[in-house]
Amino acid sequence: MNRTLSSPSPEAFGTDPWKTRIDRTFARALVLPLVLAIGLLVLLLGDTLYRSVSVQVVRADEGPGRTYPFGLAATEVLRQELLARGYTEEEARSLLQDPTERRVLFLQNRVELMWNTQEGPFRYVVTGLRDERVADFSLLEGLRRWEELKAGLGEGERLVLNPWLDQSFLTRTPSRSPLTAGIGVAIWGTIWVLSLALLIAIPVGIGTAILLEEYLREGTLNRILEVNLRNLAGVPSIVYGLLGLAIFVREMGLGPTILSAALTLGLLGIPVIVVTARESLRAVPESLRQAAFALGATRRQVVFRVVVPAALPGMVTGVILSAARLIGEAAPLLLVGAAAYVPFYPTGPLSEYTVIPVQIYLWVSMNIPEFARVAAAGILVMLLVLSGLYFLALYLRNRFRREW
Amino acid sequence: MEILKQRPSRNPKEVLTFALLVFLSSITLLTTLGVILSLVGDVAQFFRRVPLTEFLFAPEWTPLFADPRYGISPLIAGTFLVTLIALLVAVPLGLALAIYLSEYASGAARARIKGTLELFEGIPTVVFGYFALLFVTPLLQRVIPDLNIFNPLSAGLVMGFAIIPYISNVAADAMESVPRSIREAAYALGARPYEVALRVVFPAAISGIIAAIILATSRAIGETMIVAIAAGQRPILTLDPRETIATMTSYIVQAATGDQPTGSTAYYALFAVGFTLFLLTLFLNILAQYVVERYRERYE
Amino acid sequence: MSLEMLKEHETVRTAPVSEAEALVDVRGLSLWYGKKQALYDISVRFPRNQVTAIIGPSGCGKSTLLRSLNRMNDLVPGVRVEGEVLYEGVNIYDPRVDPVAVRRHIGMVFQKPNPFPKTIFENVAFGLRLMGVKGSELEDRVVEALKRAALWEEVKDRFKKESGLRLSGGQQQRLCIARAIAVEPPLLLMDEPTSALDPIATQAIEDLILELKERYTVVIVTHNMQQAARVSDRTLFMHLGVLVEEGPTEVIFTKPKHPYTEAYITGRFG
Repeated sequence: MNRTLSSPSPEAFGTDPWKTRIDRTFARALVLPLVLAIGLLVLLLGDTLYRSVSVQVVRADEGPGRTYPFGLAATEVLRQELLARGYTEEEARSLLQDPTERRVLFLQNRVELMWNTQEGPFRYVVTGLRDERVADFSLLEGLRRWEELKAGLGEGERLVLNPWLDQSFLTRTPSRSPLTAGIGVAIWGTIWVLSLALLIAIPVGIGTAILLEEYLREGTLNRILEVNLRNLAGVPSIVYGLLGLAIFVREMGLGPTILSAALTLGLLGIPVIVVTARESLRAVPESLRQAAFALGATRRQVVFRVVVPAALPGMVTGVILSAARLIGEAAPLLLVGAAAYVPFYPTGPLSEYTVIPVQIYLWVSMNIPEFARVAAAGILVMLLVLSGLYFLALYLRNRFRREW
Repeated sequence: MEILKQRPSRNPKEVLTFALLVFLSSITLLTTLGVILSLVGDVAQFFRRVPLTEFLFAPEWTPLFADPRYGISPLIAGTFLVTLIALLVAVPLGLALAIYLSEYASGAARARIKGTLELFEGIPTVVFGYFALLFVTPLLQRVIPDLNIFNPLSAGLVMGFAIIPYISNVAADAMESVPRSIREAAYALGARPYEVALRVVFPAAISGIIAAIILATSRAIGETMIVAIAAGQRPILTLDPRETIATMTSYIVQAATGDQPTGSTAYYALFAVGFTLFLLTLFLNILAQYVVERYRERYE
Repeated sequence: MSLEMLKEHETVRTAPVSEAEALVDVRGLSLWYGKKQALYDISVRFPRNQVTAIIGPSGCGKSTLLRSLNRMNDLVPGVRVEGEVLYEGVNIYDPRVDPVAVRRHIGMVFQKPNPFPKTIFENVAFGLRLMGVKGSELEDRVVEALKRAALWEEVKDRFKKESGLRLSGGQQQRLCIARAIAVEPPLLLMDEPTSALDPIATQAIEDLILELKERYTVVIVTHNMQQAARVSDRTLFMHLGVLVEEGPTEVIFTKPKHPYTEAYITGRFG
């Protein structure tokens, strides 16, 4: 205890080495969940990307399993394929020139670009409905065994490095055969359902937000609406599906159509839009309202000529983010009838339909390995769309950020 | 003077605008009404055919058998199992993240972490379901040989991750709203950061933290796609996480996608399960709000 | 003096304004925010085409009195008013009067400049549009207002495209003044208009106020006594919600009659 003040040492303060160590470990441990979460995202993305490309040996149902050079037009490729299958020049030409026949041909056959084939890289291949997959390998294994597989090709077989997510995937309809399946119908279905759903959710959501933030900031009605909204936000989305099933599909007789889906999804989207719209309205400083009132504006004029225009960028961002969430909803739509196998494009609000997440669900639950690949391709499409929307929202948020 | 004669606030446009806004808002009220009505009507039909005791206590859920049984216990057990596993993952990880966000992270790091969490929240649950079935299950099967392809373990693990943002956001908010002065007092007494976090901030924010957990539970119970894809659609009464089971939500999906003729008991069973689900989540949400209201510390 | 004694107090007046000269005549105005009384039986007249300043320590009710003149206090929930405020002989608190109509006759400038996030043009045009003014008349009056607010020279090449938020603090406040006077309100209320500005901008606004009084009647609340002395013709001194003394500005500042006024002027409190 004979320490002088002129030469203090750290030990005089009694630092506890144990506690320091605990502190450091603790801080590191806290970052663990983030690391795990990011790891999961990376694995997810990696798995999806990896699964969406495979090496396959395919036996063509008709024709010798030929490939065609890059740069040819799709019709030309098909023409050469018809010749290879034994049609004459005139037969091929007449089939391709007649619009109905050509449409049927394209429905039954898929022209896609393969990254590698037994005849060289980047060549076109024509996949028919009845083509049979002889073997399917993951990317690394397939590349490793490429030469061996190439040597072992039989009659009418072709060896391809197939990217499942390609241009034709986006435009094709779902099909019983994974080789010719596509997500085009689901994309259109999503566009239809989402647009109509927003048509409901936006006015109701923004209207409610304006009422609660500008007209009725307190009072009984305010409290009723707020409690109600909070409860609605906590209801699982599948219960909205049950509502849709009972009321829109059965009671109102709308059936499993886009309209039922849009109404169901619209109701689901309202609480989200209300929250983001209220935030944007609240961010507008009170002094702006005061200035407008002082100029003799009525409440309607203050709200719609000053407050809403000022809050608009925030509200638009909020709508985009809500749309992104709605795009991913599968459960309620499964209940309202998006389930069936829908091989044709929707033509209007009373069409049968499917949406992207439901289509993915159906492919995943088919339990056939290639459909897992198709599902992976579908997931990539959906993630791309969502990323696009998020970037748009982020861009808007930054561009229109105001310093009041 | 003309001031007396003008009445701009009584302008019909004003009244109409207000009326329009009230009308639009009332749709939210109608939605709740719709949810209740749509469920209640068909639930009543169900209970006209199946006694409540069977529903609550029978150990089998076999609506499609020749001699159908409608006991909801298997579905509840399945839901419970998956939810439990999910919470075992989500609560520690979510709370750890929350503590990190409120006590350790700098401003820039906080923004970036919250951004990543937002990203997580934005991923549709179908994608998580795909991941659970096609990546996690095969992986787990190497470690646990008698793991079924559809099992609540994979689903629960992945769902746990999916739920982390919900816990960490609410818990972090609760912890961040503990005033600085309390923390400073603790530091001034010579406490280290981890002691301050665990012994001062955490207990102070406990009501918000519990509410976060309750809300996350509610979400887990209502979550559909992950379980529908990866946990299975086979209602049996078990707590073995290696077995294929069904949850309330996965059953609803299965029943709705197989066409039930309207008017059959199986069709109404759908709504009975849905109603149970609704009541459960409603109860949990209200409980969470109550916890926050009643036990929140007021610092002013 | 305690609040109790203040409440019994009769306002000390020098050279009181006659009814004929007054644009605004406040009679026995009392105001409550919920249970708390903020103004106690205020009676005073504001003369036309002059600048009247209201001074007093923080919390004395000067802003509340100012806002009572254009019924801005109505926007606060739970507010209660007794007494009368006669504007051109009409009691604006008459139950048949719509406050919105009142505010179209009276302009207000706030402590912190609050231009709308719109273009300079649209800011000034806002009040005019509310009145239904359109087209070339609208544009002329906007330009006129910007000139009178001494902002025209600085913005004339960009006022249609540039946002009002891009101006400096002093310019923004002049924009708010232009916005308020565009509709030619006979009465202009200013609530500490320069307290958020730097000295140079403050000077510019004070010069502007002296010009404005030729066309408008101005009532200005300020906590800066030098400003009140420089700019106003009459001054009101308030304390704890009571009007203690009022009179011509030189009298208030050089020969105040009430001891409280003198104490405030010489800086002994507030």
